[in-house]
Amino acid sequence: MAAAGWLSKDVAIIAVPIVTLILGLIIGWLGQRSGFCSIGGFRDFFMFRHTRLLYGYLTLIIGGFIGYLVFSLITPAAFEGFFWLLKKGIMPVPGAPADLTVTAYIVLAIVGGIAVGLIGVLLGGCPLRQVVMTAEGNIKSLCFVIGMCIGAVVFAALVSGWGVTLLKAVGIA
Amino acid sequence: MIMAEIKVKTEENISCLDTLARNPLYVGLAIGILAALVQVLLISAGGPEAYGFCVACHTRDVVNDAVNSVAGTQLALAAISQNAILPVMTVIGVLIGAFVSARYYSEFRTKTGGIASYIWYLLGGVFFMIFALFMGGCPYRIGLRIGYGDVIALIGVIAIIIGVLVGIKIATTMAEREG
Repeated sequence: MAAAGWLSKDVAIIAVPIVTLILGLIIGWLGQRSGFCSIGGFRDFFMFRHTRLLYGYLTLIIGGFIGYLVFSLITPAAFEGFFWLLKKGIMPVPGAPADLTVTAYIVLAIVGGIAVGLIGVLLGGCPLRQVVMTAEGNIKSLCFVIGMCIGAVVFAALVSGWGVTLLKAVGIA
Repeated sequence: MIMAEIKVKTEENISCLDTLARNPLYVGLAIGILAALVQVLLISAGGPEAYGFCVACHTRDVVNDAVNSVAGTQLALAAISQNAILPVMTVIGVLIGAFVSARYYSEFRTKTGGIASYIWYLLGGVFFMIFALFMGGCPYRIGLRIGYGDVIALIGVIAIIIGVLVGIKIATTMAEREG
């Protein structure tokens, strides 16, 4: 059974760009006002014991959980996998390269996470902060965002396949 | 007289809202709940779940969809963007929203850097995207996935924290060396 939300499929396929654009406008405005940054939150906490941004990231997780819980009580059909651990066990929500083993997903999460944290802290921000700083006129961040666009194509065309081949070659995929 | 009072009231309300908007605590909560709202609205168009907000994946969807239509390639993107008339526009919304806000509060400043820094940021962006997509999302989608009950995402956040600690170590060592 396909997942069903408040909008029917015919309406939803038209509403996707509009709703996400409005969501983006709100988050962009809030992100610019608050200087919201996930990796910056960890950095400020470990370097200066500042908790301002870190609490923002924690409330994002809590807000997501509350939102999913409340809306899944109203419309269970829109949240077939919630609560994921109880329904699907130790597997990731789809999004990373598909059809791998649990071990492979854990390896990808560890390698990807360390790289993301490292690059983020050295270049002064997570992707949302970089996009917001681009909109504030920072040319360095603009280069980062252009790099992300190139990275998306490179990943889909080449690197994703290489990664899966490598994981299979060492016998964990 | 009444007009002046209304104006003062409106300004008070706006500054009150702005106080909330300037506090990451409420911004995080808002992003989390809005992401869940987007899912309950749009999930009929296609998955994946816990996909309400992600800077890396949503950028990937827009870019790959554009490249696919221009060059006729078959680059992978999320089902929701594949099925819809246009892909998810969140990141474009963030750009416009942040630009309007920066203009409105006179915080728009053009900041430049050296050519070397541009190249570092460009390369950083490329590798950031690649590793984020291997992990299945940027830190925001990872956060949403934790809220959704995904243990692998929890491992991802622990790895991000390790990466941040390593990055801080590298940055302080480099700063000490340069004196």
